[in-house]
Amino acid sequence: MSDDELDAVYTHLCQALGAQGEAQAPLMLARLALLLIDKLGDAPAAHALIEAAAQDLRPPAAD
Amino acid sequence: MSRQFAPYPFEATRHAARMPPLEHGDEAQHHAVVVVGAGPVGFCTAIGLAQQGVPVVLLEADESVCFGSRAICISRRSLQILQRLGALPGFMRHGLPWTGGRSFYRGEQVLHFTMPQDANQKLPPMLNLAQYRIEQILLERAQELSDLIDIRWQTRVTSLQARDDGVDLIVRTPTGAYRMHTDWLVAADGGRSTVREALGLKLQGTSYEGRYVIVDIRMKSARPTERPAYFDPPCNPGSTVLVHKQPDDVWRIDYQLREGEDPEEAVLPHNVLPRVQSLLDMMGETADWAPIWTGLYKANALTLDRYHHGHVLLAGDAAHLVPIFGVRGANSGIDDADNLAWKLALVARGAASPQLLASYSHERVAAAHENLAHGRKSTEFMAPPDFAFELMRTAVLGLAGRHPGLRPLINPRQTSAICYRDSPLNAWPERSAAFAAGPVPGQVLPECPLTLADGSEGHITDLLRGGFTALWFTDTGPVPETLQAWARLWNHRGARCTICTLARAGGAHADAVDHTGRLFDLYGAQSGSLLLVRPDGHVLARWLDVPLPVALAEAGTAMQALLQPEDVG
Repeated sequence: MSDDELDAVYTHLCQALGAQGEAQAPLMLARLALLLIDKLGDAPAAHALIEAAAQDLRPPAAD
Repeated sequence: MSRQFAPYPFEATRHAARMPPLEHGDEAQHHAVVVVGAGPVGFCTAIGLAQQGVPVVLLEADESVCFGSRAICISRRSLQILQRLGALPGFMRHGLPWTGGRSFYRGEQVLHFTMPQDANQKLPPMLNLAQYRIEQILLERAQELSDLIDIRWQTRVTSLQARDDGVDLIVRTPTGAYRMHTDWLVAADGGRSTVREALGLKLQGTSYEGRYVIVDIRMKSARPTERPAYFDPPCNPGSTVLVHKQPDDVWRIDYQLREGEDPEEAVLPHNVLPRVQSLLDMMGETADWAPIWTGLYKANALTLDRYHHGHVLLAGDAAHLVPIFGVRGANSGIDDADNLAWKLALVARGAASPQLLASYSHERVAAAHENLAHGRKSTEFMAPPDFAFELMRTAVLGLAGRHPGLRPLINPRQTSAICYRDSPLNAWPERSAAFAAGPVPGQVLPECPLTLADGSEGHITDLLRGGFTALWFTDTGPVPETLQAWARLWNHRGARCTICTLARAGGAHADAVDHTGRLFDLYGAQSGSLLLVRPDGHVLARWLDVPLPVALAEAGTAMQALLQPEDVG
């Protein structure tokens, strides 16, 4: 995947999330995660990515 | 916090208004070209036209060059243009060159980016310089051409009437109003263009809600010239802060307002100064500092769908507004001016049909769309328009430190030279397809060091002298007589044309020698290859190994199609 392709996928995801609305966004991201895990087809890699996603997860800045 | 404001380290000269000789309120002299707006775009257009021998009147509503913090980054592509305009030395003398930057998330560095820079380059990828200085350097260059450039300060366009063969203008000065007549009008009068308004044209696109405060300060610091960006920094949680070093101890700071902040309130010194202080504390800057100027910025991504309306041509912010992120504002305007000046000069001198100007609009509208696409993406990252972009950005920034694959998403997508891939001027694509490398028609010349005929070190962009250039690649030497005859023919027809021979190392009788041995590979060329280059440095057509008489006949067709499109069909 080229930088431009990564960029396009990122923007697509942002727009799709935005279209669903804030309340539905976590569910959509959960569904996306499950689809990616299925597509990955590699249990050890999936476990490692779950750990990576949770690592250093901090709440967003208080405005 | 109270702090005394300091002045800019620059004093603008005030210029008096001047009335031309009038007959019953009309200026007696009829003009070939009037340019409205003496900003970077207006100056570059006027200088470009004057260098091609076309007289220009340049109207400026103010009495001096601009004030405040506006354009601050000049790209390599713009520097190449400024070199052709004869203004490069001033830019290199005053500006601060830089090649990269760093992005931080909550204090952790998550990206170190560099802009393209290699041994072939003559000019830095970016140069920091305040717009007042940019305008001052261009003003001085325009003054050198004062026999052809008539600058009229404090002269404001109040109305205009488009005719079939030109434009009538009414302008106002402090000492009175008068009417002017011109064959061609170039609107380089900025984002709130009077000319655009008078024509009833509307910019279309997206306006973003996120606001940035812009602050210029004076401070002595040895920090290098690079661009740090701080996302959600400890000094200003939830915000994004950009810092640019400028010449003469001026630092430009841009920071995003938090949601719900009142912009008018936020830009007041008692709100701005503590935030600057906490930023400087975080950066470890301990020197004394003073604010110079504060302002507000809101990103727009807007353009007209055409920049050519009868005898009016629009350029720069008058034609399009691109977001600040990625520094495409002034740079795309300078590119507009460079594209327009040679075409309008050919038309004004009677060497080309006015139809050539349609290609200005075609090429620069396409360029604006490319700039806007990049600008929108940068803005979505720098000033997220909704919760989704905000959420995803937080995710990217938090992961990028450990996961390099995500770092390209943080890259600020700095401006780069645009390729006019779909230009109606591009000729002989089937000939171009024979090359395995090098610039395609519509692309600018890749830079390459060369030894020039007088033995000095130079670069390929030094060979562009304002007219068309035929680059002839050869193993050894002299220009074939047929090539010289071809150039003479087109010079005779009013299109300035220069032949440049590029010889491999050891070649004699050449305008330039490829002493590094990199040129032929970079251009995918061989002995006998021919490149036809437009006055703005974009390739028009190229021939790899076509017999010279055939290539020249085809080059002639390309020139004819460019100058008199209706004769070719």
